[in-house]
Amino acid sequence: MYSVETYNLTKIYSNGVKAVDKINLQINEGEIYGLLGPNGAGKTTTIKMLTTALKPTEGSAKVAGYDIVKESTKVRMNVGIVPQDLTADEDLTGMENLLIVSKFYNVPYGKAKENIDKLVKLVDLRDSINKLVGQYSGGMRRRLELIMGLVHNPRVLFLDEPTLGLDVQTRTLMWEYIRDIQQIENITIILTSHYLEEVDALSNRLSIINKGKIVVTGTPEELKKSIGVDIVILTFKNGKEALQATDILKTYKASRITELSIKIKSSDFSKDSQTILGILKESNLEPLRIQVEKPSLDTVFLEYVGRSLPDEEGDSDSRKMMLMMRRLRK
Amino acid sequence: MSGLIPLTMREIKKWYRNPTFFIVGLLQPLFWIALFGSAFDITRTAPQYSYYILQGAPNYITFIIGGIATTTALFTGMFAGMNIIWDRRLGPLGRFLASPIRRSSIVMSKVLGATVRIIVQIFILFLAALLIPSGLILPKNFNILDVLIIAVTVLLIGIFFASLFSAIAIRITRQETIMGIVNLVNLPLMFASYALFPKNLMAPWIGNIAQYNPVSWSAIIIRTIIINGKLSQAQWNTVLNNFVYLLLTTLFVVVITIILAEKEIRN
Repeated sequence: MYSVETYNLTKIYSNGVKAVDKINLQINEGEIYGLLGPNGAGKTTTIKMLTTALKPTEGSAKVAGYDIVKESTKVRMNVGIVPQDLTADEDLTGMENLLIVSKFYNVPYGKAKENIDKLVKLVDLRDSINKLVGQYSGGMRRRLELIMGLVHNPRVLFLDEPTLGLDVQTRTLMWEYIRDIQQIENITIILTSHYLEEVDALSNRLSIINKGKIVVTGTPEELKKSIGVDIVILTFKNGKEALQATDILKTYKASRITELSIKIKSSDFSKDSQTILGILKESNLEPLRIQVEKPSLDTVFLEYVGRSLPDEEGDSDSRKMMLMMRRLRK
Repeated sequence: MSGLIPLTMREIKKWYRNPTFFIVGLLQPLFWIALFGSAFDITRTAPQYSYYILQGAPNYITFIIGGIATTTALFTGMFAGMNIIWDRRLGPLGRFLASPIRRSSIVMSKVLGATVRIIVQIFILFLAALLIPSGLILPKNFNILDVLIIAVTVLLIGIFFASLFSAIAIRITRQETIMGIVNLVNLPLMFASYALFPKNLMAPWIGNIAQYNPVSWSAIIIRTIIINGKLSQAQWNTVLNNFVYLLLTTLFVVVITIILAEKEIRN
């Protein structure tokens, strides 16, 4: 049995936007599964449906064995959520926040306390757990959010952009905590992120989502291998030259990605570079800049999603992030 | 219903832990007594008609205390709605909605939290009114049953306002909106009522409207009991009628609030 399974899960918002379009996922128990996609790809909408905050327009899904529409209370009992937004009450202590959440799930006080102590130790919050959350640093708040999703021993944990707005050190530390939690609690973790290295570092398998659709699914290694080539980005003086180069390098699957830059594929650029530059020179073309991207999740992502950024959705997302960072700083 | 108790405790904790909020809440009824009770004594210009104007009350504070208690409930009840919007804006609401608790317990915890604050405030209001010179004068045969009726009335009017403003806040996402609505409904609720003035001092049209205002009902119940102590049959009927109106209206508002909360509350 899968821990999370969706059949043609679809969400169309009342304004007609198809945020999620027939998504089919099969996530195994005990897996860390990444949902990777640009801003506004439908990751958060998918998570919201799977955690019963939103009703799907079409399709269905089972989480921890329960139907997300017909058995929503049971789903809620069995999932933990670490949403993008901060949810702890700043006027209460970390401990009080955790105890309130554990009461929501009818965890008896003794057991809740025991569980909370364990989790607090796990994320190194012991010294500050009895301080008001308003006094926490951004990293501490994120760690508290992480364990607030775990006090009731859920079977599936949803992490929606768990390290959004954190500095590099804190982010790496959060990854350690997430791995530890998966090991100790042996739960299924579904992680959304637009940080490629985060999904690469944490997930056993991942799906890349773009414009509400799953573009590709696999392990990070499989996806990297599927590219199998170096992606080379050549930048020219002007658009005319870039256009010309696209034409000349057709055999290398050249495509324009910006006004001045084109993307080509080469099985091994260290060997091909002489030839490619030679061909260009014949037409009096010389790239200003050559950028080689070895197969990584970045190249996989760029390959499947492309370079263009969706402006509209991106705006609301980054506004949200600014809002949150302002709150974190406070 | 596992959410109602912890969430109500949270409301109360947040109240007494915030010294400004706590002290301001306690000072407010005292200001009412000092400003409205003493400074605005409506019998000053015509002391010879005092008995008639005040419907038999020995002084203005005794007449107006029921009205002040009710207005205090009105003002504190507004915060119940405001707190829902704060929880939505600052994030905790998202966490509550993701958990298996009933949606109505989120809203009803605000109602209960505000009601507790209202009861404490009104208790202090009565205490202060009794202690100040020429303050509240209780009738000779004032007994425990009278205290009980007043306490239940205060409880009902507290729940009524907290519930009303919570219901309004369920679908609102901005503080400005609820502030606007609150300001809009506050004045008619307060002044188109018998809370601060007796009916015979009001223009007939507003005096007639005032009889349908829950603020009037609560004020009349408390006033009739506090002025007369032992009630005549007619007075007793007045108290009972107003009490039934208040009880039914409060129940109605609570049921509507619960239904709205279950269906409509969103992050």
